[in-house]
Amino acid sequence: MEINDQASGERKLQCDDVSKCFQLLESILDGELGDSGKEVLKDKLAKCQPCFEHFHLEQAIRDVLKTKCTKQPVPTELADSIRQMIQESK
Amino acid sequence: MSEVQRRKYSQEEKTAIFDGEFMPHIDSMYNFAFRLTFDEDDAKDLVQDTYMKAFRFINSFEQGTNAKAWLFRILKNSFINEYRKKSKQPAKVDYQEVETFYNSDDVDYQSTTDLRAESVKDMLGDEISNALNALAVDFRTVIILADLEGFTYEEMAKILDIPIGTVRSRLHRARNLLKDQLKEYAQSMGYNTDEEEED
Ligand SMILES: [Zn+2]
Repeated sequence: MEINDQASGERKLQCDDVSKCFQLLESILDGELGDSGKEVLKDKLAKCQPCFEHFHLEQAIRDVLKTKCTKQPVPTELADSIRQMIQESK
Repeated sequence: MSEVQRRKYSQEEKTAIFDGEFMPHIDSMYNFAFRLTFDEDDAKDLVQDTYMKAFRFINSFEQGTNAKAWLFRILKNSFINEYRKKSKQPAKVDYQEVETFYNSDDVDYQSTTDLRAESVKDMLGDEISNALNALAVDFRTVIILADLEGFTYEEMAKILDIPIGTVRSRLHRARNLLKDQLKEYAQSMGYNTDEEEED
C-alpha cells in the first residue's frame, strides 16, 4: 500500500476516536474493506499522528510475520505416506 | 464448508480433487500443525489424520469452494479433539479463560505499546517466530491464519466456528500480546523503543 508520508508536524497529536480509528485501520490492513478503505486511510494518515503511528506499527507486524517467520520444512516422505494410506483405505 | 452431503463423486473425481485441490496445501497444513503442536511427529500425525478424514468425507466438500479453508477446519478440529489432550507441550491457558478475562471490558483499542515500527522491522525471523510461539494457542492460531496463511475474517470464522466479530477482536488481542512479546525482546536487545519520544 502506498502511503503518503507527510511531516508529523501537520498532524493532530490526539486522535478523536482511537477505538473506532484503530479498528478501522486494522480492518483495512487485513484487507477487509477493499478499495473503499483507501480514501479513508489516506485522510486519517495525513491528519492524525496516533493513527499514523498505529498504522505503521501494525503494518510492520504483519509484514515481518508474513516474510520472516521461520518455515518448517515438510518431511519428504509425508505426501507419499498419505497417498499410500489413502490407497490402502480404498 | 457445511457438512451437507451433496452428490457423490466418482472414484476418478475423488482422486482428481484429492490430488488437485487437497495435496497442494500440504506445506501450509504441516506448518500449521507444527505451530500448534511444536512436535514433528505430532505434526505429521495430525496432517495424515486430516488428509484421511478429508478423503473419507470428500463428498461433503463442494468443488470450487475454498479447499484450503476446508482442510484447515478439519485440522483445527482434529487438534482440539485429539492432540490438544495428549500434546507433549505443557498445557497453556485456554483461550476461553483468557477471553473471559479480557472480555470484562470491550476490546481496548488504545495504543497499548510504545513499540516502534522501525524496531519491529529490524527483528530476525527467529525472534518473530519465538514471540508468536509464546502466545496461547488460540491467539497464535488467529495470527497464523490471518498473517501467515492470508485467510479472510470470513474464512477464519468458518475455520474456527466463531462469529466474525470474535475473529476481529481475538486477532486484535493476539497482535497486542505479540507486540508485548516483541517489545520485551526489543528492550532486551537494546533496540530503540520509546526513549526518543518526548512529551
Ligand atoms: Zn486518529
